[in-house]
Amino acid sequence: MRGRGLRLRRLTAQFWAWLVVALVGGLVVFPYVWMGLTSFKPIEEFFTYPLRWTSENWTLEQYRRILADPRFLRSVWNSTVVSVSVTAINLLVSVPAAYGLVRLRPRGSRPLLLGFLSTQFLPPMIFFVPFYVYLSRLGLINTRGGLVVTYLAVTLPVAVWLVAGAFQQVEPELEDAARIDGCTELQVLWRVVLPLTIPGVATAALFSFILAWQEYIFALLYTSTPAAQTAPVMLFFFLGQHQIDYGRLMAAAVLLSLPVIVPFAFAQRYYRPDAAAGGVKG
Amino acid sequence: MTTARWTRDEGARRPRRHLTKQQRAYLFVLPLLVVMAAVVVYPLFYNARVSFFDYEPVRGTWTFVGWENFGKVLAAPLFWQSLEVTLLWVAANVGIQLVVGMAVALALHTIRFGRGVFGGLFLVPWISSYVIVAVLFLWIYHPQLGVLNDVLLKLGLIERPVAWLAYPQLAFIALVAANSWKFFPLVMITLLAGMQAIPSDYYEVAQTEGANRLQMFLHVTVPAMLPSISTAVIVAGIWAFNAFTLPFIMTGGGPLRSTEVLGLYIYKQAFTSFDFGAAAAASILLFLLILLFVVAYLRLVRDQS
Repeated sequence: MRGRGLRLRRLTAQFWAWLVVALVGGLVVFPYVWMGLTSFKPIEEFFTYPLRWTSENWTLEQYRRILADPRFLRSVWNSTVVSVSVTAINLLVSVPAAYGLVRLRPRGSRPLLLGFLSTQFLPPMIFFVPFYVYLSRLGLINTRGGLVVTYLAVTLPVAVWLVAGAFQQVEPELEDAARIDGCTELQVLWRVVLPLTIPGVATAALFSFILAWQEYIFALLYTSTPAAQTAPVMLFFFLGQHQIDYGRLMAAAVLLSLPVIVPFAFAQRYYRPDAAAGGVKG
Repeated sequence: MTTARWTRDEGARRPRRHLTKQQRAYLFVLPLLVVMAAVVVYPLFYNARVSFFDYEPVRGTWTFVGWENFGKVLAAPLFWQSLEVTLLWVAANVGIQLVVGMAVALALHTIRFGRGVFGGLFLVPWISSYVIVAVLFLWIYHPQLGVLNDVLLKLGLIERPVAWLAYPQLAFIALVAANSWKFFPLVMITLLAGMQAIPSDYYEVAQTEGANRLQMFLHVTVPAMLPSISTAVIVAGIWAFNAFTLPFIMTGGGPLRSTEVLGLYIYKQAFTSFDFGAAAAASILLFLLILLFVVAYLRLVRDQS
C-alpha cells in the first residue's frame, strides 16, 4: 500500500512540475513567437481589427525593407566592429590577468580579484557624466572607439571573472610539470592552461560579445549620428518616428537577436550556473 | 626536497629570469590594472570630483561648491519621489522573480527529462537585449493592436482594450512584469544550482520521518538553499536598483513620474537639465543605497541563520 501511495505522490509531483514548465515555457516563448509572426505579416494587416494572429499572405517584405535600409546596415556594421573589438581586448587583457591572479596567486590577488568583480555591480549611471566629459575631451564622442572604451568598463569585469573561474579548474600538477620541463610562465599559459580551458575562455568571449552587442545606454548617450550609432540605438530611433512601424521594428529585432541566440544555443552547455550569479560568493 | 632541488637547478639553468614569482604574477595582471584604472577607477574618481562642482553648460565652466549638490538633491522632492518608486520597483521585481524563479527551479529539479533543454530555453529572455525586450513589450501592450488586450478580451477578462502604459499604477505593474520576464532566469538558475547541491539523503531522512512535500520544502529545501537564495536576492536587487532602459524606452518615467526610477532621474539631471554636479551626486547616493541594501540584507541573513 505504502509503495502505491508513494508512486501516486511522485506522479502528482511530476504533473505539477510539468504544468509549471509548460506554463512558464508558454510565457517565455510566446513574446518571441509574436515577434516572429509580426515580422512576417504584410503591413496592411497590422491595422485590421479585431486582431488576426495569422495571415494568408506571409511576406518577407519587412526584412527586404530593413535590409535595404543603409542606416540600419551601417548600425549593424558599427555594432559588429565595436563588439568584436571589445571581445578581443577583453580576452587579451583578461587571459593573462586571470592567469596571474588565479594560477600564480601573488599576495593580494584575492582582494584584487573581488575588487574587479564587484565593479560589475556599479550602477551605470555613475559613469554617465565622467564618460561624457572624458570622451568629449579626447574627441571620442560619436566614435566607435569611444564606445569601445566605455564598454570595457562594463564587460571586462565579467570576462575576467569567467576566465578566472575556468582557470581555477586546472590541476596545479600539470603546470608544475611544464615548469619543470623548463617552460616560461607564458608558455605554461599558452601550452597547458589555455588548451585545457578553451570552453571557459570561449564562454567569456561569447559573453563579452553578447554584452557589447546589446549595450544600449552608453551607445545612446555618446553617439549622435549614423557614423557611430549601433543597432540597438537604431531600433530606438525607429521607435521615435512619428508613425511607429512595428513590422520593421520586429523584423529588426529578429535579425538582431540571431547573433546572440544562435551562439548561445551552442555554448549553453558550457555555461556554469554559478557564473551567472556574479562574484558574491567569490 | 626534490622540488627544492628542481627549483634551484632551474634557476641555475636560466639566470636571465631575475624577477621574483610575485613580480612575474603582477606583470601578467598589469594590462588589466592599466585598463581598469583608465575605464573604471579614473571615471569613478572623476564622478566623485564632479559631484563637488557646479557646471555651467552655456559657458562650460566648473565652480567648486562643496557639498551643495548633495544638499540640493536631498532637498528635491523629485529625488524622494524617484527614490520611493525605486524602492517599490526593487521590492516588486525581487519578490516576483524570487517566487517565479523558485517555482521554475523546483519544477525543473523535479522533471525526469528535458531539464537541459527547458533550462536553456528559459535563459533566452535573460540574454535578450533590453532594447528588444522594451520594443517587444511596447508592441504586446499596444492599446489598439496589442496582443495582450486581444487575449484578455477573448478570454472575457476585460470588456474593452486597456491602455496599459497610460495609468500610473498599471504602467508600473506592466513594467515590473516586463522586467521580471527578462530577469527571472538568472534567479531561476541560481536557485536551481543551489537546489541540485542539496544531498539527497536530507530528503530521505525527512521522508522516513513522514514529512509531506510542503514540510520538506520548508524544512529541508529552503534552509539548505539559504546561500543561493541570498545570492539571488542580492543580484536581482542590484540589477533592479540599476534599472534604466525599460522605463526609459517604454514610458520615459511617466505617467506622472510613476516609473521614474533613480536611473532615469540621474539621466534627466545630466542630459536634460545639464546639471552634471547634481547627476554625479545623485549617482553616488544611488551607489550608497545599493551598498546599504547589500550590507543590510547580508546582516539579516546572518542573524537568521
